[in-house]
Amino acid sequence: MQPRERFIAALERRPLTGRVPHFELVFFLTMEAFGKVHPYHRNYTQWIQMEEKERQLHRHDMADLYLATAERYEHSAIFLHPNPDNVEETRRMVDLVREKSDDRYFLMRHGDATFAIPTGSALTEFVYRIADEPEKVKQEAQERVNRALDRAEKLKQNGGLDGFALCSDYCFNSGPFLSPTMFSEFVTPYLKQLIEGYKEMGYYVIKHTDGNIMPIIEDLLEGKPHALHSLDPQGGVDIAQVKRDYGDRVCLIGNVNSGLMDTGTDEEVIESVRYALKHGMPNGGYIFSTSNCIYTGMRLSRYELMLDVWRKEGIYN
Amino acid sequence: MNLETIYEAVLTGNAKAAVTETQAALEAEISAPDILHQACIPAMTEVGRLFEIGEKFVPEMLIAARAMQKVLEIIKPLLVAAEVKTVGKVVIGTVAGDLHDIGKNLVAMMLEGAGFEIIDLGTDVSPEKFVTAVQEYQPDLIGMSALLTTTMASISKSIEALTEAGMRDSIKIIIGGAPVTQDFTDKVGADGFAADAGSASRLAKSLLGAA
Repeated sequence: MQPRERFIAALERRPLTGRVPHFELVFFLTMEAFGKVHPYHRNYTQWIQMEEKERQLHRHDMADLYLATAERYEHSAIFLHPNPDNVEETRRMVDLVREKSDDRYFLMRHGDATFAIPTGSALTEFVYRIADEPEKVKQEAQERVNRALDRAEKLKQNGGLDGFALCSDYCFNSGPFLSPTMFSEFVTPYLKQLIEGYKEMGYYVIKHTDGNIMPIIEDLLEGKPHALHSLDPQGGVDIAQVKRDYGDRVCLIGNVNSGLMDTGTDEEVIESVRYALKHGMPNGGYIFSTSNCIYTGMRLSRYELMLDVWRKEGIYN
Repeated sequence: MNLETIYEAVLTGNAKAAVTETQAALEAEISAPDILHQACIPAMTEVGRLFEIGEKFVPEMLIAARAMQKVLEIIKPLLVAAEVKTVGKVVIGTVAGDLHDIGKNLVAMMLEGAGFEIIDLGTDVSPEKFVTAVQEYQPDLIGMSALLTTTMASISKSIEALTEAGMRDSIKIIIGGAPVTQDFTDKVGADGFAADAGSASRLAKSLLGAA
């Protein structure tokens, strides 16, 4: 089986032999690993001004970097950051990576349209809007979903994209930003529509959020996403509990403590990897990953340590 | 009874009712300090308590704080005239290299709700800027926030800078943020750590003997 097929088998919670699939939502250490700026960090303000020949060179460079990352770190899937981020460039990047890899990897891109925790002054503005004009907020939520599904439909015509990662963060370590009641009013119905809409078009759907998801986990699962990512132990999410209670409904991705990868000892990182593998792997439906991503500032050696353990111990008999 | 209705309006985040009831209270000759100390601060303290035990969430805290702000806009001139002192002065900021401000803003809001005067330095605050702010504002307490494990070291550097400037013993320092733990707090020599905005307010009052 190709990595893509193994990734899909895990998403569908089918049993696997060999190594449990692995991917990272983002691998930002491309400069350290490959001497190249990550596509998301590139600033293409003069994209339109470029000759098509130059644009194509950039596309090839980014596609090669995605593939080099996937190959070196044995990822089964690639999360594309189309840059510039529009439908046309998504299509081109999907086609290029597919062609260069001979369909070897599962391809996804960001596809969330639901309200995440706002940042900066937008946070208070959003909260006041919820309190003062709830119907307008719901109308906006609906419009956002409609636009996302419309874009997905356009991408479907091109083909090649396997799925979406829905990356709106909803939770702090202490719990959800919105109260469960507010969440069920302003997020759940729209998240459900979005997931169901993507699935009807044939896409796979991975729902990501950091933090303590336990008070809203039923809401996250209402639209039946294929997988839940990141199962954040810093937010108190215990993969053993989630596997026991929800493992027959959704594939689990993540749970290796990314905080410990920065601040913990090697032994603590190894222990976190072993815990995630021990409780995530049984009966399939698990994809090995950190509880966030390989973000800027993380030590590459810590990621390599995590992978060493996975290579030796993340194997189905 | 206006104090109870102001308390209730702030607690539930009903800004319109908070304003109406405050105006009615003042017309009924209830003093501004009484409105502050017997209605607003207890209401925000209760909001913090309910937040800590998971019965209120960030949006409810924010709309409660907005209701309190509306009351303060009305009574502030009267408090100044009455020479009402704050519980203490707090300089707060997200440390160098970190642009996250949600947690820091919530803590600032809850501290203000508890009667503190707040000087918010914003995000990406260098150790030197903390030192300068202490010289300029002479706070009783400093709050430092870091969301990222990669920027936690800036907390340590900021505390070291305050120590080197000979200011450490005259102020209390509390720290917070997703990756911050009690172990880290002990290691960097801060006076306390709070896991959320509600407990930060309680911790600040406790450290300054205002609990």
